[in-house]
Amino acid sequence: MKPLDPRLLRHARAARSYIALTVVLGTVVAALVVAQALLLAHALAAAVHDGATLAEIGPQVVWIAAVVAVRALVAGVQERFAHRAATRVIGDLRAQLVERSALLGPRWTVEGDGSRVVTLATRGIDALEPYFVRYLPQLVLAATVTPATLVVILGLDWVSAAIVAGTIPLVPLFMVLVGRLTQGRSERGLRVMQRLGSQVLDLLAGLATLRAFGRELGPVARVRELGDAHRRATMGTLRVAFLSGMVLELLTTLSVALVAVGIGLRLVYGELDLVTGLAVLVLAPEVYLPLRQVGAQFHASTDGVAAAEQVFAVLETPLPARGTRPAPDLRTASLRLRGVGVRAPGRDVLAPAGLDLDVRPGRVVALTGPSGSGKTTAVDVLLGLVRPDHGTVELVAPDGTATALADVDPTTFWAQLTWLPQRPLLEPGTLADVVTGGADVTPGRRDAAAALTGLDAVVAAAPLGWATPVGRGGDGLSVGQRQRAALTRALLGTAPLVVLDEPTAHLDAAGEQVVLDAVAALREAGRTVVLVAHRASLVAVADEVVAVRPAELPAGLSPGAGPSAARPEVVA
Amino acid sequence: MSAPTRPWSAGDPLRRALALLDVDRTRVALAVALGVLSLGSAVALAAVAAWLIARASQMPPVLELSVATVAVRAFGIGRGTFRYVERLTSHDVALRGMATLRTTLYERVATGRVGAALALRRGDLLARVGADVDTVGDAVVRGLLPAAVAAVLGVGTAVAMALFLPAAGLALAVCLVLAGVVSPALAARAARTSEARAIEARAAVASVSLGVLDAPGPVTVAGLLPRELDALRSADAALARAVDAGARPAALSAALGQLAVGLAVLAALVLGVPALTAGMIAPVELAVLVLTPLAAFEATAVLPAAAIQVQRSRAAAARVLALLDEATSDGTAPDGTASDEMGRDRPVPVGAAVPGDAPDPLRRSTPASDAELAPSSACPPEPAAVASAAAADAGPSGATQQPASSATLAARDLACGWPGREPVVRGLDLDVRPGRSVAVVGPSGTGKTTLLLTLAGLLPARGGSLTLGGLPPGALPRPEVTSRVVLTTEDAHLFETTVLENLRVARGDVTDDEARAALDRAGLTAWLAGLPDGLATPLGADGRNVSGGERRRLLLARALLSRAPLLLVDEPAEHLDTATADRLVRDLLTTGTDPLAAGPGSPAAPGSPARPGSPAGPPARGVVVVTHRLSALDAADEVLVLRDGRVAARGTHAQLLASDAGYREAQAREQHEDREDP
Repeated sequence: MKPLDPRLLRHARAARSYIALTVVLGTVVAALVVAQALLLAHALAAAVHDGATLAEIGPQVVWIAAVVAVRALVAGVQERFAHRAATRVIGDLRAQLVERSALLGPRWTVEGDGSRVVTLATRGIDALEPYFVRYLPQLVLAATVTPATLVVILGLDWVSAAIVAGTIPLVPLFMVLVGRLTQGRSERGLRVMQRLGSQVLDLLAGLATLRAFGRELGPVARVRELGDAHRRATMGTLRVAFLSGMVLELLTTLSVALVAVGIGLRLVYGELDLVTGLAVLVLAPEVYLPLRQVGAQFHASTDGVAAAEQVFAVLETPLPARGTRPAPDLRTASLRLRGVGVRAPGRDVLAPAGLDLDVRPGRVVALTGPSGSGKTTAVDVLLGLVRPDHGTVELVAPDGTATALADVDPTTFWAQLTWLPQRPLLEPGTLADVVTGGADVTPGRRDAAAALTGLDAVVAAAPLGWATPVGRGGDGLSVGQRQRAALTRALLGTAPLVVLDEPTAHLDAAGEQVVLDAVAALREAGRTVVLVAHRASLVAVADEVVAVRPAELPAGLSPGAGPSAARPEVVA
Repeated sequence: MSAPTRPWSAGDPLRRALALLDVDRTRVALAVALGVLSLGSAVALAAVAAWLIARASQMPPVLELSVATVAVRAFGIGRGTFRYVERLTSHDVALRGMATLRTTLYERVATGRVGAALALRRGDLLARVGADVDTVGDAVVRGLLPAAVAAVLGVGTAVAMALFLPAAGLALAVCLVLAGVVSPALAARAARTSEARAIEARAAVASVSLGVLDAPGPVTVAGLLPRELDALRSADAALARAVDAGARPAALSAALGQLAVGLAVLAALVLGVPALTAGMIAPVELAVLVLTPLAAFEATAVLPAAAIQVQRSRAAAARVLALLDEATSDGTAPDGTASDEMGRDRPVPVGAAVPGDAPDPLRRSTPASDAELAPSSACPPEPAAVASAAAADAGPSGATQQPASSATLAARDLACGWPGREPVVRGLDLDVRPGRSVAVVGPSGTGKTTLLLTLAGLLPARGGSLTLGGLPPGALPRPEVTSRVVLTTEDAHLFETTVLENLRVARGDVTDDEARAALDRAGLTAWLAGLPDGLATPLGADGRNVSGGERRRLLLARALLSRAPLLLVDEPAEHLDTATADRLVRDLLTTGTDPLAAGPGSPAAPGSPARPGSPAGPPARGVVVVTHRLSALDAADEVLVLRDGRVAARGTHAQLLASDAGYREAQAREQHEDREDP
């Protein structure tokens, strides 16, 4: 975990100018700290030692006032720009993160790192703000103020400089030592803390279910125990984590004390004058202050650093190579799957397994099979979103030339198809926008399509009719209504290939008829349809029916199979 | 709790939430004392060092300095050591408080209105509640304790300086107020400004991000990714503008904090030198006066951050309290009908249920020892289970002490709906008793789930009457209700634990054999066989690694394992192929005539200690199934067709086929499929 990851500069442009500004301001601060110490020492020594009056030290006092004013100004400027830079960098990284995750595909987002991306993009990444606003400026000060003050002390009194210089390397040394010794323990502690925390949340999430079974009061004691265990685990981690902070404070304060005692003893014997003594006394804590601040902010910023590392891990996950060839015209070309098999996540099962499928232009193809057999995964493969572990997926032009789907530029392929997933995607806008997608569709055609899908009743019941606003993800519509809207959109579109994944799942018998009519209309329009179907009525309208079957993987062939950590805990 | 407690009315939400933390005052005082000792050491170090050097320059005998040299070193050590202990103490205080708050939260939501519990099904709200409790705890560690330490230390230092020179002490006090009160107030205002302006922008950022990340496939395939990313960038830009609005007071706060330190030094110099000239103070004292303030500001330096923390914690506290208030407020709010729902305020549930639940694994296990909980440890006869078993026996056999009517659910002209909203179902008459099965069909969105929640006593009846064994469910203690009727909703929770423990949600003493039998019956034999560790296989968070159909069947198996004589099951067969779906629904509808033990358990029923003397023949069950497939409904004693919130038709499957055209048509369509089903 580097304090300043060069990848940050590479990935977030806004970070560069901010760091440059911080370095400039840090240099100014270093000069001001030294100036203030020297001025104060001169003024004070003159008064204490020589009994100078206020008028005699007047110039110094005025200069000190000036330095104080400029330091306040610099602090203000730093703060002014820190927040702005942090927000920009976070926004920049978030956009890249979201884009990368989307391009990595559906499989990735449900497995491993991918499943954490939602939390990372919506919350975790915001932890970079304290990193930028608090931690980074102190880090820069540690690189400017600390050496500058040390050099000045060296010029004033080499003995004190030696004490300070001798302790400074001890600071990182002890920090690393303590860190090494405690790392394993801390990580273990963190994992336990996270687990206990998520168990409490799991119980809260399942509270409605527990109540339905009259079991809601049992876990009260369990929640209390989890809270206690959480506290003990956290305290265990903190006892260790705070050790490094204590070592840091102990070293720095003790060495300031030693410097003071050393100066005092040499003053007694007249080996040192008071001005030098006072200047060193004022400067010695300033050497350590940025280091201590870095230490103090470190724990607060580790979340930010960890979040940044997670972001970089995602940004550096290689994208599957995208094809470059243009897709053939799907009005004439067909899709061919041969022996396709995909390993189900976390199970020793191929779902689908050995799937052969031909999607020819103008045909209605139904995929059937029991739940869990891999129908939806087969659709993902067909769409080029999941690369199969076995078998081939090809686009076959009418002249017989076959192109592997992986070699085809996906945008040229996707532009030719419409896909209705189980949860249809609706763009925000008015109901009219939703079904036309901004395309130029005559109201007559639109109403005809709506009549076919039953959306006309929804429009008639909505207060604003076609102008009714629909939120992102279809907020404001029921699942069934969303499905009708999405079907209407598919009907109004012109894409030659339409893929419907369980279009009847949330509809009753009457709703089912709507889907059947829609499929019939699509067929009449000469469009190709791939259906994932549970219900026999849907299967009946298909020209071809392909059964999707899973197969168990032979033992030992499954890479990293099964949920690894067996956790037979009693949560509920 | 008869007086309605509304958010905001009872004062500062943070104060209320802190009261719920129930922190130990002695520990708090200890933490403050340790903090004062730690930072006091730093101040004393500065003062003594200044004295030492100024005095040394006057070249006194070395012996005169020895106390000071020792003191300087001691303070140097004391600072770090006290700080370490203080941090541990304050974190311990906060963590204890957070555990208490979590427990209170759970307890109140568990016993309060069901709306709060159902709301927690939403993942975002849940995560927020978890984080909010942490944030309330942070107010103690990062907000209030540092403020208390700074206050004590600031007063102490100012008084000490005033002893040398009153004017200098006063000047220091003014500067400390500038750094410790004005600057933090500005920082808090800055945070408030940008937070308030950023709320909308943040929501937009989260919603666009979620939109893409929830459905990356559909977004990319539809070619919407560039547009969504543009939307995200512009939302983030709006967020940056909002944050910028708060940057100005934040900058002023930082500048003031820095200025106060410099001013304090300047003031000491400007006031001290003339005092020295006038002979009011000694030269050595001037050094102490000028150099001590530098250290005193260390305590105030953290206060701007502390003020922001308090600000955030207050917002978090308001959200936590809103949830608590939703759970515990009197149902009188919108319509005056919802009071007394679920016997919430009765002492009975807590008092009676705890001993009844004693063998509950949820209570028994500790995190360290929860690895293995043999079913046998859950075996001592439990009153609650006995009661439920007795109720289960109260079927047609009738040979038990409990009258059959105690497990009879009767609705007359019932209206169902969420409190504060229009009822979605009206005029419903329904009788369910052990041995009788009822199916409810109708288009989606007609309130079938709301109906089930009402029948289960989880929502108050909105009109008409509903009785369970002759009494309204709301008038019965919750354990009484759930020992007779349990509900499995579509979105019931799968816990992040093993398959077996998930089934034990139905009752704590389910044995391996019973679990296997129930899974068999739910059609999950093959699925179970494919699991790496069988029943001990953990399910992912909220069962995310099971398919939709597997999930429904697991929930069904769980429902079947319950001992309650009445089962309410919502869409058990969704996401399944038609043959499996029909088989499961038919099986469930005929469960009323099945022997309970032969169903979910082995014939010997070794894991059912509570029913050893089950005397008469098979106990019966009453079942209400909500479904939208009709083909299996010939097994139901009665079918209710809901349309537009009313019972449009009712009767047996055969009667409905004869009398209701819509029903006939839908059934014909399904049968047509079934014939063609390959």
